[in-house]
Formats: sequence, structure tokens, C-alpha cells
Amino acid sequence: MIDNARLRLGLPTAEQLAQYRIWDSYFTPSHSHPGADGTSSLVREIERSLPAIKKGQFEKLCYFPHVGIGTTTDKRLEERLRAEPELILKPLNRWPKLLMGMIQLNANDVSASLAALDRWLRDGPMLGVYFTGSGPGAAPCTDKKVLPLVERIAELNGVIMQHTWFITGGKVRPGQTTPAELVELAAKFPQQKFLCAHAGGEWQKGIRAVRDQRNILVETSGFDATAGFIEMAVRELGAERIVFGSHLPSRSLGTELGKVIAAEISERDKRLILGENYRKLLHPILGRK
Amino acid sequence: MTSSDGNMNRRDVLQIAAASGAASLLVSKSATAREEASQPLEIVDTNVSLFHWPFRRLPLDQTAKLVKKLRTLGVTQAWAGSFEAILHRDVAGVNGRLVQECQPYRELVPIGTINPLLPAWEHDLQQCFGKHDMPAVRVYPNYHGYTLQEPRFVQLLEKVTSAGRFLQLASMMEDTRTQHVQHQVADVDLSPLVTLLEQVKKARVQILNWRPRASELEKFTKKTGILFDTARAEGTDGVPQLVEAVGKQRVMFGSHAPFLIPEAALIRVHESSRLPESSLKPVLAANARLLVGNGA
Repeated sequence: MIDNARLRLGLPTAEQLAQYRIWDSYFTPSHSHPGADGTSSLVREIERSLPAIKKGQFEKLCYFPHVGIGTTTDKRLEERLRAEPELILKPLNRWPKLLMGMIQLNANDVSASLAALDRWLRDGPMLGVYFTGSGPGAAPCTDKKVLPLVERIAELNGVIMQHTWFITGGKVRPGQTTPAELVELAAKFPQQKFLCAHAGGEWQKGIRAVRDQRNILVETSGFDATAGFIEMAVRELGAERIVFGSHLPSRSLGTELGKVIAAEISERDKRLILGENYRKLLHPILGRK
Repeated sequence: MTSSDGNMNRRDVLQIAAASGAASLLVSKSATAREEASQPLEIVDTNVSLFHWPFRRLPLDQTAKLVKKLRTLGVTQAWAGSFEAILHRDVAGVNGRLVQECQPYRELVPIGTINPLLPAWEHDLQQCFGKHDMPAVRVYPNYHGYTLQEPRFVQLLEKVTSAGRFLQLASMMEDTRTQHVQHQVADVDLSPLVTLLEQVKKARVQILNWRPRASELEKFTKKTGILFDTARAEGTDGVPQLVEAVGKQRVMFGSHAPFLIPEAALIRVHESSRLPESSLKPVLAANARLLVGNGA
């Protein structure tokens, strides 16, 4: 009999994976909507991801909760999250050692977002923010509305994850951000680090775009397991500027962890990408909490 | 299957191939049962390509290196197409080089390409089956510029089927969002496939690189001649979901290496721990072995 849970096909040994100390910067259970009751879909999607999380020997994962500031189109949900903020904490309370959170910000509602930063980063357990590329909270990061938000995040030592894509043929939604636009924003805040989610998707362009803006790191998830990505990123940016993300459960452990473990790079570089770099980014805010 | 004389006329070759293929490609229930009971967990990769991807170099685009990697991962057989086939028009040359490139490696099974819009594509097909004794041919309708309703594609499917072979249909090669700006190619519209298989009843078509979508999957469920690979069955439980939707006999492991990292597809098969052993074995190898006629 084959014990599926113990199968290692394509994976390093469990001991090797544990040595990498994997911290996942981009865990996306129910990313666009946590369920009408504010939590059930989210919890279900986390549970759906647990076998892969266990196989991958992940230490920690960071997800991006909605906090009732208009980042979904579901008005009833938004009201409920504002009225019952304890719903937002349910996953963190259930998996306190496994999960970390960064709130989804609404770039189109600056005052609500500033209040949420105080509520959830300054006074709460959240470690940073997520700027989305779709939905009512999305705006290109070059929009002036984003500036006061970044200033406040920097004061709070928060981590910034910015969704980015370079789509062949151009943007398909006006709220999307390209890596080149993130460079414009990052140049205004040289002391703040920015995570360029998905390395721009079309990573050959994305890596080139952010190469000289040294306060930008690239995140590895969100596109097919195209071979050569990590090798180019290490060559052009250095392993210190690459942070692993899983995009579980809508993408897979195979696709996302495979990019790093199968790359032709050193074991030291794999350790940096899979956990060390992200821990370093989180260190200031974790220290403050 | 044995090699045939390439100088025979086209019809003879196809008829002979049909006769020999029909016998060797019979799928018996007892073979399936034997396979599942006695074989260790072997792996057949039904979807690799050799030579250079036209738009960038890939870490495993040298055949020796690719084969070494596949061996490391436990792959015992790999069905190899050619990246050259996407843009080249001397398809006979492409297929000839592919056969030569595969020859030193016991694992590699060459799968030639047919572009039915090219003049004399029937000759290429004759070469693939008669001269090179290939179990299947691969098509790239989007790169070659036709839909699945194209009459010459229908003719191709009829000929492949009457030869007792099967067709590999690359539904895409690269995400449209990341393609070269001067060479954007939409994914193949697979919706005519159901009607097509009603016309060519015994046809077997393996769709490669398809990201399953519920709406289309539902249409494909009843057409048992439509087979799938796992290369882009994305999501932590994407492969079990596909198996549950279409049945374990219709899903075969495929990696789309070296364009995609082969570990990715392999891990994805088991990461959710949802596929029982009785499904793992057919998906990883037994279905593929049976399809090429060495499953007993």
C-alpha cells in the first residue's frame, strides 16, 4: 500500500524541507471573499491547503484578510466585518503558530484605510498590507492616494505586498499595477521595502524593471512554473531580493515550491528565498509586537 | 511495433499501421487490474518537448540534461514532441531530427508533429507512423492557425484513428499574458471537440497543457475518447478534481517540461493526499502504458 501522505515524488526529504524553514509570504485562501458569514469560506480554504502545507513543511504562512473597508463588492459582508471584527481574527486564533496576516487596503478610501492601519497594524496583530490589483480597493500604485498610506505604513514598520503584472498587450483592469509603476512609488520611499507580487507575472520584464530599485523585492507566486525564473532573478537581483509565496490553494505546492527547490541555485540561496529574506523583512514589526 | 519501409505508398502504410495498432492498443480490463496490483509506482511523462523553446533558453533544453532530470524524478518513459514544430514548416525535417535525438535514450518516445494546413501533410503522417513507428502525433492548432472545425484537421483525426493511433492536442504552450508581444496566440477553443468525437467515434485525443474549467469539463465528461494530461491542472487539489470529474482512466501524468519545471506537475499529483493508490498508478503510468500498447 502506498501512503499518499508520505509520498515524496518531486520533493526533497521532509528533513531537508524543514531545514529551509519555509515562511510563505503569499497564502491566498478565499482571497477575494471570506464567505457571507465573514469566515467560513476562508477557514474551509485554509483546511483545504493543510495537506500541502504539511507536505511542504511550512513553518508559517501570511494571508490577506478583508477588514471591512470596502475591498469587496459585498456591502453586507463589509458591514458585518466592521460590526464583528472578531470574525477577522478567527483564523489567526485557530492557527496561531501557523498563520500571520496582512490586511487588504482600499487605495480608493484613504481615511478608512488609515484608520484600519491603526486598528490592525498599530494596535492589532497584523504585520503589513496588501495592495490588490482588482476589485473596488484597487488603484495603480502611482495614484496620489497611495502616498499617505505608504507614509503611515512606513511609520508602523509594516510590510507592503503590491500585486503586479506586466500583461502582454497591456492592463486589462485600470486598477492594476505594473512593476515599472512600483519602481516609481518605491523611489519616493527609499527606506521602505516593497514586495513586488508575482515578479510582474511576465518575469523577464518584471525582473528587469525592478532591478535597479533596490528597496523592491520580488515575490515568486502567481504564474505557471515556468523554468528559468528563479535562476534569472538570482542572477539579476541576488537571492536576497527574492521572497517565496505559495498562492495556495488556488495554485499548488508543486507549481510554487517547485520553482525554488528545482532551480539551479545554491542551497544557501534557497534558504534565503524560502524563509530568511521574509523573516528579515518582518523583523522590525515583529520586534515591535 | 516495428519499423516499416518508408517507400511504401501512403495508403498501405496507414492500413498496416491500423491493423498492427488495433491489436497492440487494445485496453483490457485484466491488464488494468494486473498493472495496479503488481507494478511499483512508475512514472510516464506524456508531455515533454525537445530542442529550444523559440523565445528563451530553458535550464533543461538540452536533451541529455532533461533525461538526467527525468531519471532523477523516477520517470521511466517520456513522450517527446519538438519545440521546433511550433514555428518550422519543414515538419518532416523536424520529425526526423526528433527521432534521431530520442534514439540514444531508452526513455524517450518521439511524438511527431503534423500541421494539416501545410501541403502534403499526409506524407508527414505516413512518415510518423510508417517510417518512425510513432504511437501518436502532436498538433498545435493555435500556433499553426486553424480551429478544430478545420476540415483538414478532421481528416487528420480520421487518419490517425484509422491507423489505431492517437492524437496529442496542445491546447496552449504559454500563458497568453506572458507571450511575446509580436507573437500572441490564443488558447485553442476546445468546444468543437465533443461534436468531432461524435463524427470520429473511435478517436482518442489527449489534450495537453489545458487548465481545466468546470464549464468545459462538464461537456467533456461523457466523451471517453478525450484524455487529459496534468501539466496545468492547477490548484492544490487540481489533479484529484480532474480525476473525479472524468475518471481515473482518462488522466495521464504530463509535465510540459522543459518549459515548465517537471517537479511542479509531479508534486501536484500527490500534494493534497487525495488520490488513492488505485488512482495514482493509472495517472502516473498505467494509462499511458496501455495507450501505447505496452501496458500488459
